[in-house]
Amino acid sequence: MSQRRIQFIPNLAMIIICMIMLFPVFATVVISFKQQSDVARNPPLLFPCDTLETDFSLPACRFFLEGYERIFEFKDNAAALFGWEATGPIISRYMPNSLVYAVASSFFITIFAGMAGFSFSRFVFKGRQFLQVSILALTGIPLLTNLIALYQMTVSVRRLIVPTIERVAASQQFSEATTKFLTDSLDRAILIAVYTGLLMPFSIWIVKSFFDAIPRDLEEAAVIDGCTPFQALLRVVAPLAAPGLLSAFLLSFVNIWNEFLTNYLLVGTTKQNLRSVMVAVYDLTGANLINYQVLAAACVLVMVPVIVLFLLTRKVFFSAMVEGAVKG
Amino acid sequence: MRTSRALPFLLLAPALIMIALVQLYPGLYTVFLSTQQSNAGIQSFSGTDNFQVVFDSEAFMESSWHTVTFIVGYIILTMSLGLGLALLLNRKLRLSGAYLALVFIPWVLSDVIVGLVWKLFADPDTGILSPLVSLPIFGLEGSALLTKVPTFRFIDSIPFPPSPAMIYLIFAAVWKALPFITLLLLAAMQTVPKEVLESAQIDGASGRQCFLAITFPLVLPSVVVALFNLILGGMNGVGMVFSLTGGGPGSSTEVLSYLLYTIGFSELDFGRAAALSVFIAAINLTLITLALRVSRRGSENYA
Repeated sequence: MSQRRIQFIPNLAMIIICMIMLFPVFATVVISFKQQSDVARNPPLLFPCDTLETDFSLPACRFFLEGYERIFEFKDNAAALFGWEATGPIISRYMPNSLVYAVASSFFITIFAGMAGFSFSRFVFKGRQFLQVSILALTGIPLLTNLIALYQMTVSVRRLIVPTIERVAASQQFSEATTKFLTDSLDRAILIAVYTGLLMPFSIWIVKSFFDAIPRDLEEAAVIDGCTPFQALLRVVAPLAAPGLLSAFLLSFVNIWNEFLTNYLLVGTTKQNLRSVMVAVYDLTGANLINYQVLAAACVLVMVPVIVLFLLTRKVFFSAMVEGAVKG
Repeated sequence: MRTSRALPFLLLAPALIMIALVQLYPGLYTVFLSTQQSNAGIQSFSGTDNFQVVFDSEAFMESSWHTVTFIVGYIILTMSLGLGLALLLNRKLRLSGAYLALVFIPWVLSDVIVGLVWKLFADPDTGILSPLVSLPIFGLEGSALLTKVPTFRFIDSIPFPPSPAMIYLIFAAVWKALPFITLLLLAAMQTVPKEVLESAQIDGASGRQCFLAITFPLVLPSVVVALFNLILGGMNGVGMVFSLTGGGPGSSTEVLSYLLYTIGFSELDFGRAAALSVFIAAINLTLITLALRVSRRGSENYA
């Protein structure tokens, strides 16, 4: 009985803390389901559930999908999978953009950081310590600093390669759409490369600490039993290191999905069709300042993927966060 | 450990090439840029002129103070709340895992979205915080949370007390950073050997004595790591300022990283921006070096 009493107060405290921490997210979701007349109420009302008599009655709640409808812009289309398609640019263009950037960059990061982390963890070579410290030191450069130079580098790379693309396109008589696709691909490739480089040091650190935790005896035994070192890596170490690689992938994915400045400065103003979803949502604030339900719906739509991803993989997430911070 | 000549470098090559292209070269280029001045499109060497112009400017002094205010408020709140929360979660409640997962959600959200959402709440007419903010004790007529410019200063050259927008910005930043710090501290607390705590309790130590004499010293290295993480995040984070206050009202939330953005990408003065970058990078590097030294010493003592 007394044991239960002791547990009651901390549990209650934790429930209250969880409610406070989740309140901003919850309130955004509530706002996203309001209609315009309830959003624009002054004084404001959290729940649109008032009647003339009372402030809150459940049957009177007025929830609408207007905010989401304005983001999705569903249109009938017989050729599409369900007979309709979402034509809102956030759903049809910018979310896929972000998904491509995040998946492609995380893929490269995981492979390259995996190789580098393994190298740092398992080999003794000249300059090992120096390289590790330098990589760590480079993370001290503010992102904005890199972006000044990266912006100018992007301009030079475009200037170098776009004429070639155009020349080839002219000689092969590509359609205009194909040519645009090729030049856009160049910019996408630049973005993916930039994300890959930016998140590489942190990812190497995480992967290395996971490799460090795997006993070396295992590989040595495999080598004695007749594996080549490379086979030992693939067959013995890689499966054990899978959680480390997975966490590098997940953290990179979430970071790139959430990333704003790089995309905003490199393509946000010049190549609007290549914007990431974060830049697109930020841009909504300029376009319709009053329609908060639309803005809230957009925020919910970009928050949901990372929240779901995090809740599904939280164990991997937590161990990587702790490793990355303490060792890094 | 095995020794090999080429293999380790081959394995490192792709990662190092990417880092060199995206981080090292831009970093060095910035150092170069900081010594250049651009005149009608022609660059020429200008020595330390850019640095002098930046350091002498009023905006730099103001932003430095804003940064200090932001970081101090951010650290005090995040650390104390994080420590309390970690102590609660460390009591092995049945639902500790679930609580931690729920509390952690703010951390996985984007800076920019957090800023947008908090800005939504602070709208003076329709924001859900406006009834609370317009209470007389806050002294904000018309609930002008994000628009009230402070007029009073204790010392003329120091922007203190901070504007309401700065305080609100700090709260938003604390909300987002708190989960991570809690996780770090909790992980450190869980490495404290249970036997030690139990034997101390048997010897008659109170809960507070146990915390002060056993848990806290063991957690201290992690506290330091968390502290440096917070300072680095506070020095470099610009997304939330960008979407929540845009540096305003006036320049009252313009921290150094935001000033860097303004100089570099609004005024397009890359030379001065580069000089300010070099300054910020120098502070970051000092902090990283210190953090490494402290965390090494920590693990030597307690490992």
